[in-house]
Amino acid sequence: MIRRSLAFGLAVALAASGVAWAQQQQQQPPPAWAQGRPPEMANSRLAPHPPRLTVTPPEQVPVAALRVPAGFRVELWAHGIPGARMMTLGQNGTVFVGTRVIGRVYAVTDEGGQRRVRTIAERLNQPNGVAFRDGSLYVIAINRVLRYDGIEGRLDDPGTPVELTAAFNLPPDEHHGWKFAAFSPDGRLTMNIGVPCNICEFDRDRYGLIVSFRPDGSDRRIEAKGIRNSVGFDWHPVTRELWATNNGRDWAGNDVPPDTLHRIRRPGEDHGFPFCVGDWNDPAVPRRNCSEFVQPAASLGPHVAALGMRFYTGAMFPEQYRNQIFIARRGSWNREQLIGYDVVVARLDAQGNVTGIEPFLTGLLDQANDRFLGRPVDVLQLRDGSLLVSDEQNGAIYRISRAQ
Amino acid sequence: MTFPLRSLAAVALAAAAFLCTAAGAGGNDAAQRGAALAEARGCGGCHGERGHSPTPNVPSLAGQPPEAIVLNMILFREGLRDAPPMPDLARDLTDRQIEDLAAFYASLPPGPPEDRGAPDPARMREGALLAERLNCGVCHLPDYRGQNQVPRIAGQREDYLLLSLRGYRDGTRRGTDTNMNAVVYGLSDAQLAALAHYLAQQGER
Ligand code: HEC
Ligand code: HEC
Repeated sequence: MIRRSLAFGLAVALAASGVAWAQQQQQQPPPAWAQGRPPEMANSRLAPHPPRLTVTPPEQVPVAALRVPAGFRVELWAHGIPGARMMTLGQNGTVFVGTRVIGRVYAVTDEGGQRRVRTIAERLNQPNGVAFRDGSLYVIAINRVLRYDGIEGRLDDPGTPVELTAAFNLPPDEHHGWKFAAFSPDGRLTMNIGVPCNICEFDRDRYGLIVSFRPDGSDRRIEAKGIRNSVGFDWHPVTRELWATNNGRDWAGNDVPPDTLHRIRRPGEDHGFPFCVGDWNDPAVPRRNCSEFVQPAASLGPHVAALGMRFYTGAMFPEQYRNQIFIARRGSWNREQLIGYDVVVARLDAQGNVTGIEPFLTGLLDQANDRFLGRPVDVLQLRDGSLLVSDEQNGAIYRISRAQ
Repeated sequence: MTFPLRSLAAVALAAAAFLCTAAGAGGNDAAQRGAALAEARGCGGCHGERGHSPTPNVPSLAGQPPEAIVLNMILFREGLRDAPPMPDLARDLTDRQIEDLAAFYASLPPGPPEDRGAPDPARMREGALLAERLNCGVCHLPDYRGQNQVPRIAGQREDYLLLSLRGYRDGTRRGTDTNMNAVVYGLSDAQLAALAHYLAQQGER
């Protein structure tokens, strides 16, 4: 893989920008986050923000800075969950939380109005994917799938999980190898397989996909292809169509390409990566006619890192939010001015056309000082219709409800 | 392994030195707590009382960005960076204790180890060229003092620099991301040695 992406980068560099850079590239690949960076940006100081892996004391969690629309309230629901990312709900109400660098999976339970946080798995390689079905928790780390049966009855002693790694046979690549995972309405375990680079030549039937399996890892099916890296998707509550967020590539400029929202009407259709994002033809790769590909349903902003998304189906929020999509935007690094760090709502009309993207949870981006206070990664609706938002940077979960 | 007992005076000294350099009041308390903890745990026995390591293959910690120290201590504690004896030494530390230790070492003035040798012109030249070509200064900053999660490498022990560069190249060490593995991918032992030599000679003399 490394060699192929290298050769490809080489061809582009030779064609585009002279031999010196190409010779440099020939000796070793650039770090994954800097692949596809044009020579004029070689000295850019932009780099991914450092993660925080320690507990943020509750009084330092920036709840007071959070803003929600009139009629809503937001509170700190749980804290002391370093690296909290993707969330899934157990049948008895346990919220399971995946992480990346810190390698843990947490279980958060409500005990008499107080939240209790337990670490139920650790020392895993980026266990970002968590999904729940028939009493079992599925944890997906890089190239690893584990199933914890009867988990909600044994949170204090989860025991040895069932190892499903061989059955799923996921690619071992680290870069974009972390998973979002969820069960489809017809019970298929669905996950992303991101591209192992920023932009490169890759096997388009192996990477840049959303795939689904039977829960035992058999019967792999491609749901969508040409999706660079989707770390959030959900099924429309009425039409049951799959909708997914997607992260655009880095180093093409401050304002291109956008992250995107995709509507997947038919399994297996091609959404265009690495060639096109909508009608934007990526200059780093051979030209293709962008009308060959499915067009994104909406643009979510350049470099925003649009990740976790869910349709709202609850009764607590006003009717106008029903079947609309809440989307967490973790926030940019590859842009000179920060953007994102919020939760937005994608508004859909009756035909499923996106009519607008509206802010919903704001306040974590301090624009005046170009700094951020937190990084929302996922949203999850509780049974009472309130909405949880995980904040990876503060290891916290917020709860948004209707003001009484 | 045993470590000599150190006097309380050393701690007081470290704390006093910190009073002069600390930027924030909160950091000050944390650094004082960290100094006491480092003393109690004997960190200085390997890493040097003032964070300038006298021990082969043990890194200097003085003047490291606090984030870099915290993240590596968490990787040790969580069993995600396998580098004896650190995982055992970090096992029972709380987040708060780790942050205190990081504040302490970050507050100490950086500097080379006492046993640093003289620069070798040929390896200095090769190291400088490689560091330039591979953009080490973009992440580690042009004077290699580090920033956030990117460690200080200026004036670090040469043997430790070589050890860690080998670890990244051979895939036996990985940080909170895999950037360093990609940076040194495919370099020869001689190239790594030149880089280590050049960087060990940077910074305060
Ligand atoms: C017995 C010797 C020893 C003691 C005592 C010791 N260390 Fe270490 N430490 C090491 C060695 C050896 C390494 C490098 C391991 C490697 O990379 O192979 C290291 C690495 C580290 C690192 C990683 C630095 C980097 O740049 O990556 C940190 C941070 C650290 N130690 C902090 C501490 C603290 C804090 C204490 C006291 C609680 C401590 N050490 C006690 C031997 C020791
Ligand atoms: C893309 C950004 C980036 C570039 C470019 C980069 N580094 Fe690093 N470097 C890092 C990060 C991040 C870490 C910390 C990783 C970890 O926690 O293990 C690191 C760690 C190191 C360490 C380990 C230090 C310690 O205290 O343990 C050494 C040595 C090092 N880098 C040397 C270099 C050299 C030499 C170059 C150029 C050849 C270079 N780096 C280029 C980001 C970079």
